[in-house]
Amino acid sequence: MTDALPAGSHVLAGARVVWAMWRRELLRYRRDRSQIFGAVSRTVLWLIILGFGLGAALRDIEGYSYAQYILPGVVTLNILFASLQSAIALVWDREVGLLREVLVSPAPMPAVALGKLLGGATIAVIQGSIPLLAIPFLDLRISLPQLLLAWAVMFSMGVLVTAFGVIVASRMTTFEGFGSISNGIIQPLYFLSGSIYPLKGIVGGVGFLDIPLALREELRSLGIFALGSGWVVQLPLWLEVLVYANPLSYQLDLLRYLILGFQQLPLALDLAAVLVLPIVAAAIAAWMMNGLRRR
Amino acid sequence: MTDVPEPAIEARDLVRRFGKVEAVSGVSFSVAQGEFFALLGPNGAGKTTTLQMLTTLLRPSSGSAHVFGNDTAKRPARVRSALGMVFQEPALDDRLTARENLEIHGALYRIPRNELRARVGEALDWAALAEVGARTVRSFSGGMKRRLELARALMHRPRLLFLDEPTLGLDPQGRRHLWERIERLRGQGLTVFMTTHYLQEAEACDRVGIIDGGKLIALGAPDELKERADAGDAASLEDVFIELTGRQLRDEEAGPRARMLGFAKRGGEHTR
Repeated sequence: MTDALPAGSHVLAGARVVWAMWRRELLRYRRDRSQIFGAVSRTVLWLIILGFGLGAALRDIEGYSYAQYILPGVVTLNILFASLQSAIALVWDREVGLLREVLVSPAPMPAVALGKLLGGATIAVIQGSIPLLAIPFLDLRISLPQLLLAWAVMFSMGVLVTAFGVIVASRMTTFEGFGSISNGIIQPLYFLSGSIYPLKGIVGGVGFLDIPLALREELRSLGIFALGSGWVVQLPLWLEVLVYANPLSYQLDLLRYLILGFQQLPLALDLAAVLVLPIVAAAIAAWMMNGLRRR
Repeated sequence: MTDVPEPAIEARDLVRRFGKVEAVSGVSFSVAQGEFFALLGPNGAGKTTTLQMLTTLLRPSSGSAHVFGNDTAKRPARVRSALGMVFQEPALDDRLTARENLEIHGALYRIPRNELRARVGEALDWAALAEVGARTVRSFSGGMKRRLELARALMHRPRLLFLDEPTLGLDPQGRRHLWERIERLRGQGLTVFMTTHYLQEAEACDRVGIIDGGKLIALGAPDELKERADAGDAASLEDVFIELTGRQLRDEEAGPRARMLGFAKRGGEHTR
Protein backbone atom coordinates (compact mmCIF):
# COMPACT_ATOMS: atom_id res chain seq x y z
CA MET A 1 0.00 0.00 0.00
CA THR A 2 2.53 2.53 1.17
CA ASP A 3 5.00 1.49 -1.49
CA ALA A 4 2.56 2.30 -4.27
CA LEU A 5 2.38 5.94 -3.35
CA PRO A 6 4.40 8.43 -5.42
CA ALA A 7 7.70 9.59 -3.95
CA GLY A 8 6.39 13.11 -3.32
CA SER A 9 3.77 11.84 -0.92
CA HIS A 10 6.46 10.09 1.15
CA VAL A 11 8.25 13.40 1.57
CA LEU A 12 4.98 15.07 2.49
CA ALA A 13 4.11 12.36 5.00
CA GLY A 14 7.60 12.67 6.48
CA ALA A 15 7.24 16.43 6.76
CA ARG A 16 3.95 15.91 8.54
CA VAL A 17 5.63 13.64 11.09
CA VAL A 18 8.38 16.24 11.62
CA TRP A 19 5.73 18.88 12.16
CA ALA A 20 3.70 16.69 14.56
CA MET A 21 6.77 15.88 16.67
CA TRP A 22 7.92 19.52 16.67
CA ARG A 23 4.45 20.64 17.76
CA ARG A 24 4.42 18.04 20.50
CA GLU A 25 7.65 19.40 21.98
CA LEU A 26 6.30 22.94 21.92
CA LEU A 27 2.96 22.01 23.45
CA ARG A 28 4.78 20.21 26.25
CA TYR A 29 6.95 23.26 26.81
CA ARG A 30 3.98 25.59 26.90
CA ARG A 31 2.33 23.53 29.63
CA ASP A 32 5.46 23.40 31.77
CA ARG A 33 5.75 26.68 33.60
CA SER A 34 8.64 25.44 35.73
CA GLN A 35 10.88 25.52 32.67
CA ILE A 36 10.20 29.21 32.03
CA PHE A 37 10.66 29.88 35.72
CA GLY A 38 14.04 28.12 35.55
CA ALA A 39 15.17 30.31 32.67
CA VAL A 40 14.15 33.48 34.47
CA SER A 41 15.78 32.44 37.71
CA ARG A 42 19.03 31.44 36.00
CA THR A 43 19.09 34.81 34.27
CA VAL A 44 18.57 36.66 37.53
CA LEU A 45 21.13 34.58 39.42
CA TRP A 46 23.90 34.68 36.87
CA LEU A 47 23.42 37.92 35.09
CA ILE A 48 22.18 40.17 37.84
CA ILE A 49 23.61 38.67 41.00
CA LEU A 50 26.87 37.21 39.75
CA GLY A 51 27.23 39.72 36.93
CA PHE A 52 26.99 42.72 39.19
CA GLY A 53 28.45 41.01 42.25
CA LEU A 54 31.62 39.78 40.63
CA GLY A 55 31.46 42.72 38.28
CA ALA A 56 32.07 44.99 41.26
CA ALA A 57 35.45 43.33 41.71
CA LEU A 58 36.42 43.11 38.05
CA ARG A 59 36.21 46.47 36.48
CA ASP A 60 36.11 45.24 32.91
CA ILE A 61 37.11 42.52 30.49
CA GLU A 62 38.55 44.04 27.34
CA GLY A 63 36.37 47.05 27.94
CA TYR A 64 33.19 45.09 28.66
CA SER A 65 31.58 44.99 32.07
CA TYR A 66 31.45 41.55 33.64
CA ALA A 67 27.65 41.39 33.29
CA GLN A 68 28.01 42.24 29.61
CA TYR A 69 30.73 39.64 29.20
CA ILE A 70 28.71 36.78 30.67
CA LEU A 71 25.42 37.62 28.91
CA PRO A 72 26.11 35.28 25.96
CA GLY A 73 27.19 32.66 28.50
CA VAL A 74 23.89 32.89 30.33
CA VAL A 75 22.08 32.55 27.00
CA THR A 76 24.13 29.39 26.43
CA LEU A 77 23.30 28.08 29.90
CA ASN A 78 19.58 28.40 29.17
CA ILE A 79 20.04 26.66 25.84
CA LEU A 80 21.89 23.81 27.56
CA PHE A 81 19.11 23.31 30.09
CA ALA A 82 16.27 23.55 27.58
CA SER A 83 17.88 21.24 25.00
CA LEU A 84 18.99 18.59 27.43
CA GLN A 85 15.70 18.56 29.28
CA SER A 86 13.88 17.99 26.04
CA ALA A 87 16.36 15.31 24.95
CA ILE A 88 16.51 13.41 28.23
CA ALA A 89 12.71 13.11 28.28
CA LEU A 90 13.39 10.44 25.65
CA VAL A 91 14.47 7.96 28.32
CA TRP A 92 11.12 8.35 29.96
CA ASP A 93 9.19 8.49 26.75
CA ARG A 94 10.68 5.23 25.52
CA GLU A 95 9.73 3.23 28.61
CA VAL A 96 6.38 4.64 29.67
CA GLY A 97 5.48 7.40 27.23
CA LEU A 98 4.32 8.16 23.74
CA LEU A 99 7.51 7.02 22.05
CA ARG A 100 6.34 3.38 22.16
CA GLU A 101 3.34 4.36 20.08
CA VAL A 102 5.70 6.10 17.66
CA LEU A 103 7.96 3.04 17.46
CA VAL A 104 5.15 0.66 16.39
CA SER A 105 3.80 3.18 13.89
CA PRO A 106 4.90 3.23 10.25
CA ALA A 107 6.34 6.75 10.67
CA PRO A 108 9.94 7.07 9.42
CA MET A 109 12.32 7.39 12.36
CA PRO A 110 14.55 10.09 10.80
CA ALA A 111 11.46 12.31 10.58
CA VAL A 112 10.62 11.58 14.22
CA ALA A 113 14.18 12.43 15.25
CA LEU A 114 14.23 15.61 13.17
CA GLY A 115 10.97 16.78 14.73
CA LYS A 116 12.38 16.13 18.17
CA LEU A 117 15.64 18.00 17.43
CA LEU A 118 13.92 20.98 15.84
CA GLY A 119 11.46 21.10 18.72
CA GLY A 120 14.24 21.00 21.31
CA ALA A 121 16.15 23.70 19.42
CA THR A 122 13.10 25.94 19.13
CA ILE A 123 12.49 25.74 22.88
CA ALA A 124 16.20 26.43 23.39
CA VAL A 125 15.95 29.63 21.34
CA ILE A 126 12.92 30.78 23.31
CA GLN A 127 14.57 29.98 26.64
CA GLY A 128 17.85 31.48 25.48
CA SER A 129 16.10 34.71 24.51
CA ILE A 130 15.02 35.41 28.07
CA PRO A 131 18.48 36.75 29.11
CA LEU A 132 18.51 38.88 25.95
CA LEU A 133 15.68 40.89 27.46
CA ALA A 134 18.30 42.32 29.82
CA ILE A 135 20.18 43.96 26.92
CA PRO A 136 18.72 47.47 27.44
CA PHE A 137 19.72 47.36 31.11
CA LEU A 138 23.30 46.36 30.37
CA ASP A 139 24.13 49.40 28.31
CA LEU A 140 24.14 47.31 25.15
CA ARG A 141 22.47 47.75 21.81
CA ILE A 142 21.71 45.09 19.28
CA SER A 143 20.51 45.68 15.73
CA LEU A 144 17.85 43.54 14.10
CA PRO A 145 20.27 41.73 11.75
CA GLN A 146 22.54 41.03 14.72
CA LEU A 147 19.60 39.64 16.66
CA LEU A 148 18.52 37.42 13.76
CA LEU A 149 22.04 36.08 13.37
CA ALA A 150 22.28 35.53 17.12
CA TRP A 151 19.05 33.52 16.97
CA ALA A 152 20.47 31.45 14.13
CA VAL A 153 23.56 30.64 16.23
CA MET A 154 21.36 29.85 19.22
CA PHE A 155 19.25 27.52 17.08
CA SER A 156 22.36 25.74 15.86
CA MET A 157 23.50 25.39 19.47
CA GLY A 158 20.06 24.02 20.36
CA VAL A 159 20.21 21.38 17.63
CA LEU A 160 23.75 20.37 18.64
CA VAL A 161 22.98 20.04 22.34
CA THR A 162 19.61 18.33 21.80
CA ALA A 163 21.24 15.86 19.43
CA PHE A 164 23.99 15.21 21.94
CA GLY A 165 21.35 14.68 24.63
CA VAL A 166 19.41 12.28 22.40
CA ILE A 167 22.58 10.27 21.80
CA VAL A 168 23.16 10.05 25.56
CA ALA A 169 19.49 9.34 26.30
CA SER A 170 19.18 6.54 23.79
CA ARG A 171 21.95 4.70 25.65
CA MET A 172 20.53 5.32 29.12
CA THR A 173 18.36 2.57 30.57
CA THR A 174 17.37 4.14 33.84
CA PHE A 175 16.55 7.61 34.88
CA GLU A 176 16.68 8.74 38.47
CA GLY A 177 16.43 12.45 38.02
CA PHE A 178 17.70 15.40 36.12
CA GLY A 179 20.29 16.22 38.80
CA SER A 180 22.96 13.95 37.39
CA ILE A 181 22.45 15.43 33.93
CA SER A 182 22.79 18.91 35.32
CA ASN A 183 25.94 18.13 37.29
CA GLY A 184 27.48 15.69 34.85
CA ILE A 185 26.81 17.35 31.52
CA ILE A 186 25.40 20.86 31.72
CA GLN A 187 27.80 22.34 34.24
CA PRO A 188 31.04 21.00 32.70
CA LEU A 189 29.94 22.17 29.24
CA TYR A 190 28.99 25.54 30.65
CA PHE A 191 32.07 26.18 32.76
CA LEU A 192 34.43 24.90 30.09
CA SER A 193 33.14 27.10 27.30
CA GLY A 194 34.70 30.40 28.31
CA SER A 195 31.23 31.48 29.39
CA ILE A 196 32.20 33.11 32.67
CA TYR A 197 35.87 33.89 32.22
CA PRO A 198 37.83 35.11 29.23
CA LEU A 199 40.20 32.75 27.43
CA LYS A 200 42.76 35.49 27.06
CA GLY A 201 42.77 39.22 27.07
CA ILE A 202 42.91 41.92 29.66
CA VAL A 203 40.90 41.96 32.83
CA GLY A 204 40.42 45.34 34.41
CA GLY A 205 42.04 46.24 37.73
CA VAL A 206 40.77 44.81 40.95
CA GLY A 207 38.85 47.19 43.17
CA PHE A 208 38.95 50.86 42.54
CA LEU A 209 42.71 51.26 42.39
CA ASP A 210 44.68 51.33 39.22
CA ILE A 211 47.75 49.22 39.38
CA PRO A 212 50.68 51.54 40.04
CA LEU A 213 53.59 51.41 37.66
CA ALA A 214 56.02 50.11 40.27
CA LEU A 215 53.76 47.21 41.17
CA ARG A 216 53.27 46.44 37.52
CA GLU A 217 57.03 46.19 37.04
CA GLU A 218 57.25 43.92 40.01
CA LEU A 219 54.51 41.69 38.67
CA ARG A 220 56.17 41.51 35.32
CA SER A 221 59.29 40.15 36.95
CA LEU A 222 57.08 37.38 38.35
CA GLY A 223 55.76 36.60 34.87
CA ILE A 224 52.37 38.30 35.33
CA PHE A 225 51.78 40.84 32.64
CA ALA A 226 49.74 43.81 33.58
CA LEU A 227 48.65 46.03 30.75
CA GLY A 228 46.93 49.35 31.11
CA SER A 229 45.14 49.06 34.36
CA GLY A 230 44.62 45.31 34.26
CA TRP A 231 46.07 41.86 33.94
CA VAL A 232 46.66 39.65 31.00
CA VAL A 233 44.71 36.47 31.43
CA GLN A 234 46.59 33.29 30.81
CA LEU A 235 44.62 30.12 31.57
CA PRO A 236 46.50 27.07 32.85
CA LEU A 237 47.29 24.77 29.95
CA TRP A 238 45.03 21.88 31.00
CA LEU A 239 42.08 24.24 31.31
CA GLU A 240 42.85 25.79 27.98
CA VAL A 241 42.91 22.35 26.36
CA LEU A 242 39.51 21.49 27.81
CA VAL A 243 38.00 24.77 26.71
CA TYR A 244 39.43 24.41 23.21
CA ALA A 245 38.13 20.84 22.99
CA ASN A 246 34.59 21.90 23.88
CA PRO A 247 32.64 22.57 20.67
CA LEU A 248 30.33 24.84 22.60
CA SER A 249 33.23 27.27 23.16
CA TYR A 250 33.28 28.07 19.45
CA GLN A 251 29.54 28.50 19.14
CA LEU A 252 29.52 30.71 22.21
CA ASP A 253 32.43 32.69 20.79
CA LEU A 254 30.42 33.48 17.68
CA LEU A 255 27.38 34.35 19.76
CA ARG A 256 29.48 36.72 21.85
CA TYR A 257 30.83 38.27 18.68
CA LEU A 258 27.28 38.91 17.47
CA ILE A 259 26.02 40.31 20.75
CA LEU A 260 29.13 42.18 21.97
CA GLY A 261 31.46 42.36 18.99
CA PHE A 262 34.12 40.57 21.04
CA GLN A 263 35.77 37.43 19.78
CA GLN A 264 38.57 35.22 21.09
CA LEU A 265 38.78 32.13 18.87
CA PRO A 266 39.46 31.63 15.14
CA LEU A 267 36.39 32.68 13.18
CA ALA A 268 36.69 29.76 10.75
CA LEU A 269 36.43 27.28 13.61
CA ASP A 270 33.47 29.19 15.05
CA LEU A 271 31.65 28.98 11.75
CA ALA A 272 32.46 25.30 11.33
CA ALA A 273 31.14 24.57 14.82
CA VAL A 274 27.92 26.40 14.04
CA LEU A 275 27.32 25.14 10.52
CA VAL A 276 28.75 21.62 10.43
CA LEU A 277 28.63 20.09 13.92
CA PRO A 278 24.86 20.27 14.43
CA ILE A 279 24.27 18.42 11.17
CA VAL A 280 26.73 15.68 12.07
CA ALA A 281 25.28 15.36 15.58
CA ALA A 282 21.72 15.32 14.23
CA ALA A 283 22.59 12.50 11.84
CA ILE A 284 24.09 10.43 14.67
CA ALA A 285 21.07 11.16 16.88
CA ALA A 286 18.66 10.06 14.14
CA TRP A 287 20.67 6.89 13.66
CA MET A 288 20.57 6.17 17.40
CA MET A 289 16.83 6.74 17.52
CA ASN A 290 16.36 4.44 14.57
CA GLY A 291 18.23 1.84 16.60
CA LEU A 292 15.51 1.96 19.25
CA ARG A 293 13.16 0.41 16.76
CA ARG A 294 15.31 -2.46 15.59
CA ARG A 295 16.69 -3.99 18.72
CA MET B 1 -5.56 -20.27 -5.37
CA THR B 2 -8.13 -21.71 -3.04
CA ASP B 3 -10.25 -19.49 -0.88
CA VAL B 4 -8.20 -20.11 2.27
CA PRO B 5 -7.04 -16.61 3.13
CA GLU B 6 -3.48 -16.03 4.28
CA PRO B 7 -3.15 -16.08 8.06
CA ALA B 8 -3.10 -12.79 9.96
CA ILE B 9 -0.06 -13.96 11.91
CA GLU B 10 2.32 -16.73 11.06
CA ALA B 11 5.20 -17.35 13.49
CA ARG B 12 7.82 -19.94 12.60
CA ASP B 13 10.41 -21.09 15.14
CA LEU B 14 10.71 -17.66 16.70
CA VAL B 15 13.77 -17.38 18.90
CA ARG B 16 14.98 -14.37 20.78
CA ARG B 17 18.07 -14.24 22.92
CA PHE B 18 19.19 -11.42 25.19
CA GLY B 19 22.86 -12.07 25.71
CA LYS B 20 22.98 -15.64 26.97
CA VAL B 21 19.37 -15.75 28.09
CA GLU B 22 16.89 -17.22 25.67
CA ALA B 23 13.60 -15.46 26.33
CA VAL B 24 11.73 -17.16 23.49
CA SER B 25 13.01 -20.48 22.20
CA GLY B 26 11.31 -21.69 19.08
CA VAL B 27 7.69 -20.61 19.09
CA SER B 28 5.48 -21.47 16.10
CA PHE B 29 1.79 -20.76 15.65
CA SER B 30 -0.56 -19.05 13.30
CA VAL B 31 -3.59 -16.88 13.80
CA ALA B 32 -6.30 -16.89 11.14
CA GLN B 33 -7.94 -13.71 9.92
CA GLY B 34 -10.85 -12.73 12.14
CA GLU B 35 -9.66 -14.95 14.96
CA PHE B 36 -9.47 -13.91 18.61
CA PHE B 37 -6.24 -15.34 19.96
CA ALA B 38 -4.87 -15.13 23.49
CA LEU B 39 -1.33 -15.79 24.59
CA LEU B 40 -1.20 -16.83 28.23
CA GLY B 41 1.75 -17.35 30.45
CA PRO B 42 3.18 -16.62 33.86
CA ASN B 43 5.51 -13.68 34.42
CA GLY B 44 8.71 -13.90 32.45
CA ALA B 45 7.40 -16.69 30.21
CA GLY B 46 8.19 -14.83 26.98
CA LYS B 47 4.78 -13.28 26.26
CA THR B 48 6.01 -9.73 25.91
CA THR B 49 9.08 -10.73 23.92
CA THR B 50 6.87 -12.66 21.50
CA LEU B 51 4.50 -9.74 21.21
CA GLN B 52 7.38 -7.35 20.56
CA MET B 53 8.71 -9.55 17.78
CA LEU B 54 5.28 -9.71 16.16
CA THR B 55 4.91 -5.94 16.33
CA THR B 56 8.40 -5.31 14.82
CA LEU B 57 9.80 -3.85 18.05
CA LEU B 58 12.29 -6.67 18.49
CA ARG B 59 14.18 -8.53 15.82
CA PRO B 60 14.01 -12.33 16.13
CA SER B 61 17.39 -13.96 16.77
CA SER B 62 16.22 -16.69 14.43
CA GLY B 63 12.98 -17.85 12.88
CA SER B 64 10.47 -15.52 11.31
CA ALA B 65 7.11 -13.89 11.77
CA HIS B 66 4.73 -12.83 9.03
CA VAL B 67 1.80 -10.48 9.43
CA PHE B 68 -0.62 -10.70 6.50
CA GLY B 69 2.18 -12.25 4.49
CA ASN B 70 4.73 -9.52 5.26
CA ASP B 71 7.92 -10.51 7.02
CA THR B 72 8.20 -8.45 10.22
CA ALA B 73 11.97 -8.14 9.82
CA LYS B 74 12.01 -7.39 6.10
CA ARG B 75 8.96 -5.22 5.60
CA PRO B 76 8.39 -3.67 9.01
CA ALA B 77 6.70 -0.53 7.68
CA ARG B 78 3.97 -2.56 5.99
CA VAL B 79 3.44 -4.66 9.08
CA ARG B 80 3.22 -1.55 11.24
CA SER B 81 0.59 0.14 9.11
CA ALA B 82 -1.61 -2.97 9.25
CA LEU B 83 -1.66 -3.28 13.02
CA GLY B 84 -3.10 -1.40 15.97
CA MET B 85 -1.52 -1.65 19.37
CA VAL B 86 -2.78 -1.14 22.91
CA PHE B 87 0.04 -1.15 25.42
CA GLN B 88 0.06 -2.44 28.94
CA GLU B 89 1.02 0.99 30.27
CA PRO B 90 -0.73 3.65 28.20
CA ALA B 91 1.66 5.07 25.61
CA LEU B 92 0.16 8.53 25.73
CA ASP B 93 1.72 11.93 26.24
CA ASP B 94 0.35 12.99 29.61
CA ARG B 95 1.00 16.64 29.01
CA LEU B 96 -1.01 16.74 25.80
CA THR B 97 -4.77 16.72 25.52
CA ALA B 98 -6.67 13.65 24.33
CA ARG B 99 -7.30 15.41 21.04
CA GLU B 100 -3.63 16.30 20.54
CA ASN B 101 -2.61 12.71 21.22
CA LEU B 102 -5.01 11.52 18.54
CA GLU B 103 -3.79 14.16 16.10
CA ILE B 104 -0.23 12.87 16.45
CA HIS B 105 -1.52 9.39 15.68
CA GLY B 106 -3.09 10.78 12.52
CA ALA B 107 0.26 12.14 11.34
CA LEU B 108 2.12 8.94 12.21
CA TYR B 109 -0.34 6.75 10.29
CA ARG B 110 -0.92 9.13 7.39
CA ILE B 111 -4.60 9.63 7.98
CA PRO B 112 -5.54 12.16 5.29
CA ARG B 113 -5.56 15.67 6.69
CA ASN B 114 -9.02 16.51 5.45
CA GLU B 115 -10.42 13.49 7.29
CA LEU B 116 -8.42 13.93 10.46
CA ARG B 117 -10.81 16.24 12.31
CA ALA B 118 -13.73 13.93 11.71
CA ARG B 119 -11.73 10.82 12.62
CA VAL B 120 -10.46 12.37 15.86
CA GLY B 121 -14.04 13.35 16.72
CA GLU B 122 -15.26 9.83 15.98
CA ALA B 123 -12.53 8.29 18.10
CA LEU B 124 -13.36 10.56 21.03
CA ASP B 125 -17.06 9.71 20.72
CA TRP B 126 -16.25 6.04 20.47
CA ALA B 127 -14.17 6.21 23.64
CA ALA B 128 -16.94 8.22 25.36
CA LEU B 129 -14.41 11.01 25.92
CA ALA B 130 -15.86 13.71 23.67
CA GLU B 131 -16.51 15.99 26.65
CA VAL B 132 -12.93 15.84 27.89
CA GLY B 133 -11.11 15.91 24.55
CA ALA B 134 -9.50 19.25 25.40
CA ARG B 135 -8.22 18.13 28.79
CA THR B 136 -4.67 16.93 29.29
CA VAL B 137 -4.37 13.18 29.61
CA ARG B 138 -2.62 13.66 32.93
CA SER B 139 -6.00 14.26 34.54
CA PHE B 140 -7.49 11.00 33.16
CA SER B 141 -8.16 7.85 35.17
CA GLY B 142 -6.61 4.55 34.14
CA GLY B 143 -9.86 3.47 32.51
CA MET B 144 -10.16 6.68 30.49
CA LYS B 145 -6.58 6.32 29.27
CA ARG B 146 -7.20 2.73 28.21
CA ARG B 147 -10.34 3.75 26.30
CA LEU B 148 -8.43 6.54 24.60
CA GLU B 149 -5.64 4.16 23.66
CA LEU B 150 -8.05 1.64 22.22
CA ALA B 151 -9.84 4.31 20.21
CA ARG B 152 -6.48 5.54 18.97
CA ALA B 153 -5.29 2.07 18.02
CA LEU B 154 -8.39 1.74 15.81
CA MET B 155 -8.23 5.20 14.26
CA HIS B 156 -6.27 4.10 11.21
CA ARG B 157 -8.60 1.09 10.75
CA PRO B 158 -6.07 -1.69 11.32
CA ARG B 159 -6.81 -5.27 10.32
CA LEU B 160 -5.06 -6.70 13.35
CA LEU B 161 -5.26 -5.45 16.91
CA PHE B 162 -2.67 -6.27 19.57
CA LEU B 163 -3.69 -5.94 23.20
CA ASP B 164 -1.03 -6.29 25.86
CA GLU B 165 -2.72 -7.10 29.18
CA PRO B 166 -5.63 -4.89 28.19
CA THR B 167 -7.65 -5.09 31.39
CA LEU B 168 -4.82 -4.57 33.84
CA GLY B 169 -5.95 -1.98 36.37
CA LEU B 170 -9.49 -1.66 35.02
CA ASP B 171 -12.55 -1.87 37.24
CA PRO B 172 -15.34 -4.34 36.31
CA GLN B 173 -17.27 -1.63 34.46
CA GLY B 174 -14.22 -0.67 32.47
CA ARG B 175 -13.52 -4.30 31.66
CA ARG B 176 -17.09 -4.93 30.55
CA HIS B 177 -17.02 -1.84 28.35
CA LEU B 178 -13.75 -2.95 26.77
CA TRP B 179 -15.01 -6.44 25.95
CA GLU B 180 -18.23 -5.14 24.45
CA ARG B 181 -16.23 -2.85 22.22
CA ILE B 182 -13.91 -5.61 21.12
CA GLU B 183 -16.79 -8.01 20.53
CA ARG B 184 -18.40 -5.49 18.21
CA LEU B 185 -15.15 -4.98 16.30
CA ARG B 186 -14.71 -8.68 15.83
CA GLY B 187 -18.13 -8.75 14.22
CA GLN B 188 -16.58 -6.47 11.59
CA GLY B 189 -13.79 -8.91 10.86
CA LEU B 190 -10.97 -7.58 13.03
CA THR B 191 -8.31 -10.05 14.13
CA VAL B 192 -7.37 -9.69 17.79
CA PHE B 193 -4.22 -10.94 19.50
CA MET B 194 -3.90 -10.42 23.22
CA THR B 195 -1.67 -11.37 26.09
CA THR B 196 -3.23 -11.76 29.48
CA HIS B 197 -2.94 -13.08 33.00
CA TYR B 198 -6.68 -13.25 33.49
CA LEU B 199 -7.80 -16.69 32.49
CA GLN B 200 -11.51 -15.95 32.61
CA GLU B 201 -10.92 -13.47 29.80
CA ALA B 202 -9.18 -16.06 27.70
CA GLU B 203 -12.25 -18.31 27.93
CA ALA B 204 -13.94 -16.04 25.41
CA CYS B 205 -11.18 -16.45 22.84
CA ASP B 206 -11.28 -18.69 19.80
CA ARG B 207 -7.92 -20.17 20.57
CA VAL B 208 -5.41 -19.93 23.36
CA GLY B 209 -1.68 -20.48 23.42
CA ILE B 210 0.06 -21.14 26.71
CA ILE B 211 3.69 -20.14 26.85
CA ASP B 212 6.21 -20.95 29.55
CA GLY B 213 9.97 -20.90 29.66
CA GLY B 214 10.00 -19.42 26.18
CA LYS B 215 8.15 -22.40 24.67
CA LEU B 216 4.58 -22.82 23.56
CA ILE B 217 3.38 -25.69 25.73
CA ALA B 218 -0.27 -25.84 24.72
CA LEU B 219 -2.32 -24.49 21.84
CA GLY B 220 -6.00 -24.92 21.09
CA ALA B 221 -9.56 -23.81 21.76
CA PRO B 222 -10.28 -23.32 25.49
CA ASP B 223 -12.60 -26.38 25.54
CA GLU B 224 -10.03 -28.57 23.84
CA LEU B 225 -7.39 -27.62 26.36
CA LYS B 226 -9.73 -28.42 29.22
CA GLU B 227 -10.49 -31.84 27.79
CA ARG B 228 -6.88 -32.60 27.21
CA ALA B 229 -5.82 -31.79 30.75
CA ASP B 230 -6.65 -34.26 33.52
CA ALA B 231 -7.75 -31.49 35.78
CA GLY B 232 -11.17 -33.04 36.38
CA ASP B 233 -14.59 -32.53 34.86
CA ALA B 234 -15.35 -29.03 35.94
CA ALA B 235 -11.89 -27.82 34.96
CA SER B 236 -11.42 -24.15 34.24
CA LEU B 237 -8.72 -22.75 32.05
CA GLU B 238 -6.98 -21.72 35.23
CA ASP B 239 -6.72 -25.35 36.36
CA VAL B 240 -5.25 -26.26 33.00
CA PHE B 241 -2.85 -23.36 33.23
CA ILE B 242 -1.63 -24.31 36.70
CA GLU B 243 -1.31 -27.94 35.72
CA LEU B 244 0.82 -27.04 32.73
CA THR B 245 2.97 -24.33 34.19
CA GLY B 246 3.28 -25.53 37.78
CA ARG B 247 2.59 -23.86 41.09
CA GLN B 248 5.93 -22.24 41.50
CA LEU B 249 5.83 -18.48 42.03
CA ARG B 250 7.42 -16.43 39.27
CA ASP B 251 9.47 -13.50 40.35
CA GLU B 252 10.74 -11.12 37.78
CA GLU B 253 13.50 -8.63 38.15
CA ALA B 254 12.28 -5.08 37.69
CA GLY B 255 13.13 -3.93 34.17
CA PRO B 256 13.74 -0.35 33.11
CA ARG B 257 10.02 0.22 32.65
CA ALA B 258 9.11 -1.01 36.12
CA ARG B 259 11.87 1.09 37.62
CA MET B 260 10.76 4.11 35.68
CA LEU B 261 7.18 3.64 36.86
CA GLY B 262 8.42 3.30 40.41
CA PHE B 263 10.28 6.55 39.96
CA ALA B 264 7.12 8.20 38.66
CA LYS B 265 5.08 6.98 41.61
CA ARG B 266 7.61 8.40 44.04
CA GLY B 267 6.92 11.81 42.59
CA GLY B 268 8.87 11.55 39.37
CA GLU B 269 10.58 14.43 37.69
CA HIS B 270 9.37 17.26 35.54
CA THR B 271 9.93 15.08 32.50
CA ARG B 272 6.43 13.75 32.22
